[in-house]
Amino acid sequence: MANRKKAKKPKPALVLGVLSVVLLVLVIIFFIGGGREKAKRFVDANIPKTPAVAGEPAEAKTVTLFFLDDDDDFLHRETRQIVAGPTDAEEAERALAELIKGSDGKYVSPLPPQTKVRQVFIGKNGVATVDFSRDIAEKFSYGSTMELAAVYAVVNTLAFNFKAVKKVVILVEGAEKETLGGHVDLTRAFLPDYSLVAR
Amino acid sequence: MKRDPIDRTARGAALAAALLAALVVCPVSGQAPAGQGQRIQTMVIDPGHGGMETGAKGKFGNLEKDITLAISLKLKALVERNMGFEVVLTREKDVDVSVENRSAIANNRKAGLFISIHANGAVQKKAAGSETFFLSLNATDEETRRLAYLENNSSALQSRIDPSSDDDLMMILWDMAQTAYIKESGQLAELVQGELDALLGTRNRGIKQAPFKILAGVACPAILVEAAFISNPEEEQKLASEDFQAKVAEAIYRGLARYLRMPK
Repeated sequence: MANRKKAKKPKPALVLGVLSVVLLVLVIIFFIGGGREKAKRFVDANIPKTPAVAGEPAEAKTVTLFFLDDDDDFLHRETRQIVAGPTDAEEAERALAELIKGSDGKYVSPLPPQTKVRQVFIGKNGVATVDFSRDIAEKFSYGSTMELAAVYAVVNTLAFNFKAVKKVVILVEGAEKETLGGHVDLTRAFLPDYSLVAR
Repeated sequence: MKRDPIDRTARGAALAAALLAALVVCPVSGQAPAGQGQRIQTMVIDPGHGGMETGAKGKFGNLEKDITLAISLKLKALVERNMGFEVVLTREKDVDVSVENRSAIANNRKAGLFISIHANGAVQKKAAGSETFFLSLNATDEETRRLAYLENNSSALQSRIDPSSDDDLMMILWDMAQTAYIKESGQLAELVQGELDALLGTRNRGIKQAPFKILAGVACPAILVEAAFISNPEEEQKLASEDFQAKVAEAIYRGLARYLRMPK
């Protein structure tokens, strides 16, 4: 405000200078502020993902995954190191890839090994949307118990490891699907259910 | 699959019932006179899967879709012979029927009871036993919000609802159709599971709640029976036998009979 008053009389160049600084600040706010998330995800979708920028040491993050055991019907926790950052969504993609890859120990993954994580998007409303390749539905012939385990292994893995995730929506090949195999309703968001997890 | 306290949904259930009744889409009123069976004219049995969608597969090549149809036909015969109401199957042969169409069949036929029949599957070969599911709403706090909204605005909404034009609202109401019947569904599940346990000699996995698509859209008491595990070789052999199939049908029938005799 004060600047403007002063600038009235003397140099128009100063006005121009001040205005361009203001404009620059606005542009920076625009990209760093509200648009940040979308802009980043857009870039992510189009360039091959590298775990870390060359030269920088890759930081590790410990995540908890949920697997099945041969001896009971519960989900069992197993921790795993994944490459950390830069975004929750990318960490979530890595965590789910590990879940699909299977257990280091005696546990069994409840998801078909051919499944690919196409993308994870974490919205500001706390809803994580996970897009799987069609293998998740086609490579297993699910019974109710299996389908519940598959869905909640995914939902629990995301909600347990990422504070920003409150609910999870599962997509298949980019689209909403009724169910994976005829049982669990995928058309709504899931809250985590830890009653399925062994104590 | 969380065991939700039933009263959490009860308030919403009462409201949904009132709304549905107001829209004349509800075949069984929430206040049926003594005896659950009093007002039931039609029952729908849903043989799980079918056609291209085989359901779970057994090691010896048995398919869930064939076993569910066999059990369903036996149950239909039992009910028709011994109970006074019409039985409709969502499929009578090996064809694809979408989950949405299955619940639509129940609602269009104004079913008073809905029983979906399945055989279970798991990657763990040891997984075994029988269980009965009814709907859980825990996965959808969105619904709780919708119900709260409807509750606060119900009078305004009811005067605005035009079933032919307001598709979105109709969809929301149909989406929640089962909410009004959770309590009855739980009772039915318990009685059927008790008989499965008594007759089948399989491990009793109890009653559970799960967010199953097939149950969510049905506007009457609805359960899903998982007779045994087709992924377990020993149980697959049982499921494939006529004798065991007949026992499953008999158990469900007995549970049903006990439910219908239950005072409201």
